Amino acid sequence: MVNSNHRGEVVFEDVTRAIQTKKTETIILDHCSFVVESGKLTVLIGPSGCGKTTIINLIAGYEIPDRGKVLMDGKPVTGPDWERLVVFQESALFPWLTCYDNVMFGPLATNVMTRDEAHEQAIKLLEKVGLQDFLYKYPIQLSGGMQRRAELARALINRPTVMLMDEPFRGLDAMTRELMQEYYLRLVEESHGTHLFVTSEIEEAIFLANKLIIMTNKPSCVKHVLDVDLPRPRDASVLRSKQYLELKATALEILHEEAVKASKASGKADIDIESGLRT
Amino acid sequence: MSASDLNATSLFWKQVRKNVANWTTVRRIMSVVLFLLAWTILVQFIGQFHQIPSPTAVFAALFQLDLGVIFTEIFRSFLRVMVGFLIGLLIGLPLGIAIGYSRIANYLLFPAVEMVRPIPPIAWIPLTVLFFIEIESQIVFLTFYGAFFPIVYNTMGGISEVDIRLPRAAMSFGLTKIGMLWKVILPAAMPQIFTGMKVAIGITWLMVVAAEMIASKGGLGYWVWYHHTVMEYPMVILGMGIIGLCGALCSVGIDVIGNHFMKWRNIF
Repeated sequence: MVNSNHRGEVVFEDVTRAIQTKKTETIILDHCSFVVESGKLTVLIGPSGCGKTTIINLIAGYEIPDRGKVLMDGKPVTGPDWERLVVFQESALFPWLTCYDNVMFGPLATNVMTRDEAHEQAIKLLEKVGLQDFLYKYPIQLSGGMQRRAELARALINRPTVMLMDEPFRGLDAMTRELMQEYYLRLVEESHGTHLFVTSEIEEAIFLANKLIIMTNKPSCVKHVLDVDLPRPRDASVLRSKQYLELKATALEILHEEAVKASKASGKADIDIESGLRT
Repeated sequence: MSASDLNATSLFWKQVRKNVANWTTVRRIMSVVLFLLAWTILVQFIGQFHQIPSPTAVFAALFQLDLGVIFTEIFRSFLRVMVGFLIGLLIGLPLGIAIGYSRIANYLLFPAVEMVRPIPPIAWIPLTVLFFIEIESQIVFLTFYGAFFPIVYNTMGGISEVDIRLPRAAMSFGLTKIGMLWKVILPAAMPQIFTGMKVAIGITWLMVVAAEMIASKGGLGYWVWYHHTVMEYPMVILGMGIIGLCGALCSVGIDVIGNHFMKWRNIF
């Protein structure tokens, strides 16, 4: 297993990605370059429909760039791999497996650890995310927040070098969301892996991030990179610090420009790129 | 009688009132009663329906049934349905999986399937004599044919409608293409595969009855047809009822098997 802290750097080099619809070609990413630093939590934020899910898909290896390179530790990404695991928008747990079996799925698929080892890890992780009493429940028996936590555990047990979080807390109510963010931070601070977290919520972004990448509206590229050097471990009190408020003001200003552009563009009855790709 | 006994009894009646003797049950019984009533009225008061046996006549016919004969016929039809259905499953399931899972198989097979499918299975009856000499084989072929397309179609559809995130997640976990089929695609498509099987078993009953009526080689379809030729219409209606019951039984059977394999869907 990989446990070196120095691996897990993802580099986007001048990446362009377009999708063909029946009549037109829509450019989603336009000469996009950035670095997801190893061992850090990078948050990607941008207006909705700006191609954030596409970036996740490119790193996960579900899609291939039309131009440019996606590099993982210097090597181009050619396909999916357990080194790079995604926690999807809404729940993508296997509904026919119990919570426990979902978490065991990855280790048993690859045989990287023995069943006993995997079992031990699974129990430990599920305890850590507060699901120890729900091991043998099916996903439909869990609440939205529990499902998301089970999914976190399902990915983390494989000890991925890079975790890709695709708006994982979208659709949760404010209270649950806050709790999830705290759970997640605790796991990140313990795991030392590389994390890329995609969101469209500015509070969430700053609360979690080491580094904040702000995207432009589509065709999107990197608009701005902000370092978030709030002290760790963080808790909700960070949200009242002066430093946080300053960061938020800066980020909001940048985002606002993009939002204005986006609302002008959407007047032209564009298709929703993100939902178009998911289907 | 002590007070606690009294309490227990009153609790019992409360439960009965809540779960059995409530308005929902009454309405359900009413539905059946109204149906029988409508039937009786039609037969009694509308001239052209005078020939049709009344519910009581059909009920009386129940006691004239030769149980040995009727169970033999039920068994014959059942056997034909089961053999046809199982062959349909054995061929239809892999074919549906192939068309749904492999693009090449889809291009190779789907157009042909799509071309033949709109022909109603019953329209095949005259042609079956060319395929098989034996009447038994002809009947089984027709039941197989009835089951075949619903199974192929629903398996195919179930597979193509699997949420893309599930195989993607599994791909990242390092599953091979075959492992993916077994561990992700088929479980995810299972609900629709079972829907296909339920539709299929309904059509096999349709086919077996039609085939037996024409073939005169025993079975419930033949039994009904025979009583038609000797003008014993209460028996005809009774036979129809038995066929319906058999079909319903098969459908329930598939539900039971489906629930066994899909426990995760029946939690609530």
